[in-house]
This record gives sequence, C-alpha cells and structure tokens, in this order.
Amino acid sequence: MKSAVSLPYLAVATLSGTLFGSGLYVSQMIDPLKVLRFLNFGAIPSGGWDPSLAFVIVAAIGVMYIAVRIRNKQNAPLFDFKFHEPVAKQLDAPLVIGATLFGIGWGMSGICPGPAITLIAFMPENLMIFLSALFVGSFAGTYVQDWLTAKEVAA
Amino acid sequence: MRTKGARGVGRKTEIIVEAFSPVTALIGGAMIGLASALLWLGNGRIAGISGIFGQLLPPANTVTWRLVFLGAMIAGGLGAAFLIPGLGVGGPSGEPVQLVGNPLWIAISGLLVGLGTKIGNGCTSGHGVCGLARFSLRSLIAVIVFFGVATVTVAVTGVV
Repeated sequence: MKSAVSLPYLAVATLSGTLFGSGLYVSQMIDPLKVLRFLNFGAIPSGGWDPSLAFVIVAAIGVMYIAVRIRNKQNAPLFDFKFHEPVAKQLDAPLVIGATLFGIGWGMSGICPGPAITLIAFMPENLMIFLSALFVGSFAGTYVQDWLTAKEVAA
Repeated sequence: MRTKGARGVGRKTEIIVEAFSPVTALIGGAMIGLASALLWLGNGRIAGISGIFGQLLPPANTVTWRLVFLGAMIAGGLGAAFLIPGLGVGGPSGEPVQLVGNPLWIAISGLLVGLGTKIGNGCTSGHGVCGLARFSLRSLIAVIVFFGVATVTVAVTGVV
C-alpha cells in the first residue's frame, strides 16, 4: 500500500537521510570554515582558495542526474502515487529575492540548511541560536512569500 | 622546514595542502547524490533540506517522514564521525567544529537563510543538487544568485 507513513516509505526516508548526513560529514561540508574558504574567491590569486565544495556538488549532481534519467521512464515512484515535482516554473521576484537573502546569510556563516541539521550531532557552541533563527526566518518567510505573490498578481 | 623569513608564505601553503580534499569531497558528494536519488525514485520527493525542514511548520501534512529524514541526517553525521573520526569535524587538524561570528551575527545569518530559502523555494540541496540535475531554469537562476551573493558577502565581510 502506498502511503507517506508506510514502512517502505519511511525506510527510504531513513536511508536517504542517513546517507545525506554522512555525506555531509565525509565531504566536510558540515564545517562552516571549509565552506567559507570555498566561497572566498578573493583568495584565488594567493593560492588560499579551497575548491573542495565544487567537487561535492558536481559529484552529487552527477549521481542525481542518473535518477532523473530513470524517473523519465517511470510513471510513479516506488512508494508513492506520484512524483512531487516543484510546480513553479516562472522566473519571478520571490525566487531572486529569496536567493539573494539566502546568499547573504550563507556567506555570513558558511551554514546552509543541510549542515545546520547534521551539525546537531556535534552541537558546536551557538548552533541553537542559528537553528532557532532558521526556524523563525522560515516561518516568517511563508507570510513574506504570500505577500510578494499577492503583490505580483495585483501588479 | 621553513626559514624564518618565509614563514608567512610557508604557512599559507600548509593551509592549502591541509584544506583541499578532492577525494572525500567526491565521495561525500556522491553519497549526497545517492541520498537524493533514493528519495526521488523511492518516494517521489525532492531532497531539499530547506523544504523538508520548512514544511514542518503549518500547514503541515507530511510531518512524519520529514521528522524521520531530519533525525536520520543527524544520526548519519554521528555514525560517520564514529566510523571515520576526525574527518569532517574541524578538518584533518581534528579541531572541534566551530561557528563563525558572535551570537548576533549567527542569529542574523540563520534568519536570512530561513527567510531566503523559504521565499526562494530552496537551498543548496533543493536548487543546487536536485534542481540542476533536473535542468530546472528556476534552480539555475537561484544557484547563480545565491552563490554569487554568498561570494560577495564573504569578500565584503571578510570572515575568512
């Protein structure tokens, strides 16, 4: 039976989450300094730039691309009735505004949502501050998104 | 071995050799890709962490698997650190992992990451890995914008 609380469905979520978290550790992307040293393009001339993150994302996209190709031959995933494709297709203001705000926040701390979660395993000082703010920001974002969308429709 | 006069240059070289880790980056990246592939083909869900996290908030209708996934992400990090100690936490030097900046800086950063990923519908995993692999134009634009802005932010704030 296909349901979001069936055993195979939750087993896939468990396996995927475990792989994701261990991948973040193995790639060292949970280390904010490692991420910041990738984002620090200013260090390229001096040789202090760390290009590791590019290798992480290229490998991840490469493997995921295979899944995308397999999906094109399937009508439905194994344990759900349909693929939950993102519905939005248009390039709009919320996409660009959101990506800009995220870029500023990411550049400030070197932490994006995945590492923020997996870092709970290591509990560095002040992580709870980041996670609380992440939660508040995400909650507030729902309303900002509605407001931006309403404005665009009105315009 | 370094001479006293060349200390600055020598130190810098040392940091690069320690920092650049293409092999673990490729292996870890492939693991993240496999995780995304499993969730997509198994459950038809995009492994976008901001989305999985953000939709724990109302309106929430699929809370169970999201909590299971996020819990497994923590357990996965813990398990990998147990099996391969000293790799990801603080890098090969083995120092404990640390957040950059004072509490206010960290709070503002967290707020912007939460707000931005919600409004822009995705983060490094959802747009960066899944979106680019699906050749989504929206994700490509988002990735260019947030990577670009993040590098400018690092250059301006000079945190590293």
